[in-house]
Amino acid sequence: MILIVNTTSDTAITEELKRCIEDKTIEAQIIETAQLKISHCIGCNYCWLKTPGECSIKDDYEIILKKIIHADQLWVISDTALGFLDHKGKNIFDRILPIATMYLKFVKDQMRHVPRYDQRTDIGIIYSGDVEKEYLKRWTQRAALNFESSSLGVFSKDEVKEAVSCMCLS
Amino acid sequence: MHVLIINGSPRIKEYSNTDKILEKFIKGMCENGTTYEQFEVSDLKQWDKIREAYYNNSKILIALPLYVECIPGLLLEFLETLKPKNDGTGMAFILQSGFAEGIQLRCGEAYLKILAQKLGCEYLGTLVKGDNFSIRFFEGEQRDKVTDPYTEMGREYSINGDFSSEACRRFTGPEVLPAHIRFIVGLLQKTLAKKMFKKIAEDWGCTKEIDYRPYQ
Repeated sequence: MILIVNTTSDTAITEELKRCIEDKTIEAQIIETAQLKISHCIGCNYCWLKTPGECSIKDDYEIILKKIIHADQLWVISDTALGFLDHKGKNIFDRILPIATMYLKFVKDQMRHVPRYDQRTDIGIIYSGDVEKEYLKRWTQRAALNFESSSLGVFSKDEVKEAVSCMCLS
Repeated sequence: MHVLIINGSPRIKEYSNTDKILEKFIKGMCENGTTYEQFEVSDLKQWDKIREAYYNNSKILIALPLYVECIPGLLLEFLETLKPKNDGTGMAFILQSGFAEGIQLRCGEAYLKILAQKLGCEYLGTLVKGDNFSIRFFEGEQRDKVTDPYTEMGREYSINGDFSSEACRRFTGPEVLPAHIRFIVGLLQKTLAKKMFKKIAEDWGCTKEIDYRPYQ
């Protein structure tokens, strides 16, 4: 399953995605967060040490979290600010901590958290606005380490077709 | 020199590792007469004051924890409300993380260079160091052992006005841990560290296994 989370209020992007996906046999679920309440991560560490796997912030992020653990791919559609994802897009990633455990291990030469679930979710970005694209590509590759997965790439909203070409599951 | 210090951690001040680091850093920084004002992004009531201070100060130091390879969402949300300065203001950063190796923080550090530029400020370097996860769980001497080294970095900053010195560069420690250390640390993570995390969890009132799966 491919999970698409649109953190912008521009549903034209998801409409185009739907049209592009229709032609292919892609099982996708789209979540529009414009009307949802999604806080930032407050760094309480409860999801690691007090209520393992559960976020202490009881808001609509739980909808996303429950789907991520079954998703082969997570695509976040985000506005941009200061050359990067805006805070709404970043918050989707900051709040993934419950999918990791407190336990640590080495992956190659770097320490990482032991994943809580068996699913490995690749991640991709579709952005709207100005961004430091080379940096965002680098960051997405790094962020994928937190899912023990790979980056699917970074695409502007004008490159939706290219993004969809990365959505065919092997 | 007068410095505006912004603690960019989303954690409230009492539990903020970044705050404990700043405490020691400031001690060294103030020894030669450097003055400062400090604000916390975690306290939304301070945002108007931080904005005002941002426009009124020419030396800004933002201290922050690494959140998913870059800056925390809440700090980003605050920074999005600022206008670029373009008046020669210098901006430096203290970037800290739980993971110990320098390589873990480099992607975040790279963004801070972009950030200073986007805010129309001169980038004055980033003090990069990990291995700070335990600060919150330690008290007294044990905590001081982790945070005390920042006092010397405070001195460096007050002398140079930036983090460009060799001492600041070396402060990061190893980029990756040597293979034999990884072997030992890897073993410790499977044994002693697991016990330690379980103990902390119990102290916090946790009734589940640490690798419990609530959604499956």
